[in-house]
Amino acid sequence: MTDITDAVRTQGLFKRFGQQVAVGGVDLVVPRGSFAGLVGPNGAGKTTTLSMVTGLLRPDAGLIRIDGADVWRDPVAVKARIGVLPEGLRLFERLSGRELLSYNGQLRGIPKAEVERRAEELLRVMDLADSADKLVVDYSTGMRKKIGLAAALLHNPKVLFLDEPFEGVDPVSANTLVEVLRRYTASGATVVFSSHVMDLVERLCDWVSVMSRGQIVAQGPLEEVRGGRSLNEAFLGLVGAGANGNGEEGLSWLGATSA
Amino acid sequence: MAGSDLGMSADTAGTGPAAGTAGTGSGGPPRDPAGAGTARVGPRLFVRLKLRLIAGNLRGDTTRLLGFVFTVLAALVVASFGFLLMAMLRMAPAGVAADVGTVLFTVLLLGWTLVPLLAFGLDDTLDPSRLALLPLRTRQLATGMFASSVTGVWPLATLVVTSGAIAGLARGLGGVLVGVVAVLLQFTLCIVVSRLVTTSLSGILRTRRGRDVLAISVIFVILGAQLPNLLLNRGLTGDPLVMLDGVASALRWTPPGMAAHAIADGGPAALAELAFLAALAVVLGWLWIVALRRSLVTADASTEAASVRNSRGLLARLLPDGQLAAVATKELRYARRDPRGRVGWFAALAVTGIMAFSLGGQEGPSPGPALAIGPACIGALMIGLQACNSFGIDGRSLWMNSVVYGTARDWRTDLAGRHLAVATIGVPALGLLSLVAGLIAGNAAWAVPAMFTAWGVLGVGLGMGALTSVLLPYTVPERLNAFTGAAPGQGGVAFLASFGAMIGTGLLALPVVLPMLFGLDWVVALAAPYGVLVSWGGRRIAGNLGFARYPEILGAISKAT
Repeated sequence: MTDITDAVRTQGLFKRFGQQVAVGGVDLVVPRGSFAGLVGPNGAGKTTTLSMVTGLLRPDAGLIRIDGADVWRDPVAVKARIGVLPEGLRLFERLSGRELLSYNGQLRGIPKAEVERRAEELLRVMDLADSADKLVVDYSTGMRKKIGLAAALLHNPKVLFLDEPFEGVDPVSANTLVEVLRRYTASGATVVFSSHVMDLVERLCDWVSVMSRGQIVAQGPLEEVRGGRSLNEAFLGLVGAGANGNGEEGLSWLGATSA
Repeated sequence: MAGSDLGMSADTAGTGPAAGTAGTGSGGPPRDPAGAGTARVGPRLFVRLKLRLIAGNLRGDTTRLLGFVFTVLAALVVASFGFLLMAMLRMAPAGVAADVGTVLFTVLLLGWTLVPLLAFGLDDTLDPSRLALLPLRTRQLATGMFASSVTGVWPLATLVVTSGAIAGLARGLGGVLVGVVAVLLQFTLCIVVSRLVTTSLSGILRTRRGRDVLAISVIFVILGAQLPNLLLNRGLTGDPLVMLDGVASALRWTPPGMAAHAIADGGPAALAELAFLAALAVVLGWLWIVALRRSLVTADASTEAASVRNSRGLLARLLPDGQLAAVATKELRYARRDPRGRVGWFAALAVTGIMAFSLGGQEGPSPGPALAIGPACIGALMIGLQACNSFGIDGRSLWMNSVVYGTARDWRTDLAGRHLAVATIGVPALGLLSLVAGLIAGNAAWAVPAMFTAWGVLGVGLGMGALTSVLLPYTVPERLNAFTGAAPGQGGVAFLASFGAMIGTGLLALPVVLPMLFGLDWVVALAAPYGVLVSWGGRRIAGNLGFARYPEILGAISKAT
């Protein structure tokens, strides 16, 4: 029944927090080998969806399959296959970058020598070699995202889930992240990342899922979703913004000459 | 410099509640000819800001509201009892009354110096850097911050308690008049000293290292609370009145001592003391302004970081590669590097040491091995409690383990790694403690049964801790303070977890501890294996439970603090 060509497929994914429905029946589809963007305004349910897909949050209802394996029924198969960079980026703050990578590798059962070799390379590519022995608690946002991505890539996952990987990242670090991710998808792996920076999604992704108020409102190849417009315009149209005023009424004093 | 001479602009149309507070200041007509509602910023604005911060903090959150109600009630109780206590000094002999007044005044001043440091960050008006961008002069800022620090339930309570001294100590009209001034000066000193300390340290407190160091100081509060108990237990007191007199005469010439003395004296000497206190308050105030001015233009040094040694550690070299080694090594690093880890371990060991010391000093009916076994077992219990919320310090970072573990066995191995780390520190520590307890009890040989029993109890504690860790997990706040160990609203869970673990450990440990206490010495051979067995069983059950409910555990330890 499952289409094995899909890296990620959810059916009727549902989550409620108290009275509020955070995710109300999401059917997310991401074809294998795609660089997929999950876009939506704040509070659309992107983080909740990704948390459930990566097995960090228990859904109230719905099915999740990654490479055909059920996340909640067959966790061993799924967890070996996915890499995760969650929102907020809480890492083990009192480990150094190098220790964090080796901790992660050892948890995954990779032999120590191999972990050290991979960690060394990742630190170099991510431009973190100089800070490898500093505690993560002292890292800047860009450095944290890079070490988080390095940790997520260490076991060479088939599918990578990134929640807002570019938020608060300086252009140089962002460029590094993009380069690494491009190389990674070129090898046939799948990346799913959430963002609300449309330019970036447009530049990187070949597959887009648009979320609004806990629902997927559009999903498909980038060209199809944007339909000749820029992704930003298409997005604003889809989530129903932009119709009510452009901020010209009110604020009449703003920019006036008075002190 | 802190700012230009501009006043703060307020929106006279009253569009926003925040803008609307900047209405009336300390007088003076608006100087902006455009009439945009610019007003002088006076202390009243800061008072209102503080009140608004308090009110805003309470909005929509029942636990915080309850907490605030509790604080108000506590302050009321402290204020009324403090006032009564002070006032009742009237019935005591004059000398004793003055001595008690001196000690209480000193305690108040010390409290005002230390508590804001330990609770730094609880109050938005305390951190001058938040106000640095406002166009205010340093002097305005200083008076404003003084006004806002006077606003609150604890300052009021302090003032009430302090003024009780007028009723309790003053003799005659002169004494009352001097008393009013002395009380105000003592109160001012409390506030200014507390401001001075927080402001001059605020630069350090904003760095990660500074906060780490400060977090450790929580230990001294814990130890300080044990001190009177310890002194009483050791019977060092002798005559309390003599001791009081000794303390008071040592404090006689400190500022709070002079304030108390001035009230009791009420004569010309009192006037001289008041003059000195006033001068001191002015000097401290001036120092505070200087510190404020400097802290506003000093760069934030919080991003400077040092490297850590890239050491492997003995345990990592001994253990086979894999999850167990990874978790155990990480836990040991955390015990060393995370202030919460250091505080937890230090407190456990220190409390244990104190208990061994005070229990050992008592004249028991039957001096025997029990005198060594008792303290060692209490130590084992305290150390075992380190594991009653194993995942708490990891907090949200536990996602990294959660996305890896796909079986109950993985969770069991994780718990085993954590237990191994606790045992690595706890087993030698308990050995040492048993030896010390044996020596204090009077026979070094008693250390042997004590040691083995303690190891058994530690094993039982770890097994119980594994259960509470998965059944009653709670968030350990990032920033420790001396007063809470859990996130807001989880105090009950934390209480249940630690008391559950403690009672469970006590009950499960009875099979080995009871026969020991009754002199069945051979049971000692079974204690350690029994402990290992219970901890294994605990991990086995907890591993299955943990695997079944890890998303819930993750949620419970990731609460906002």
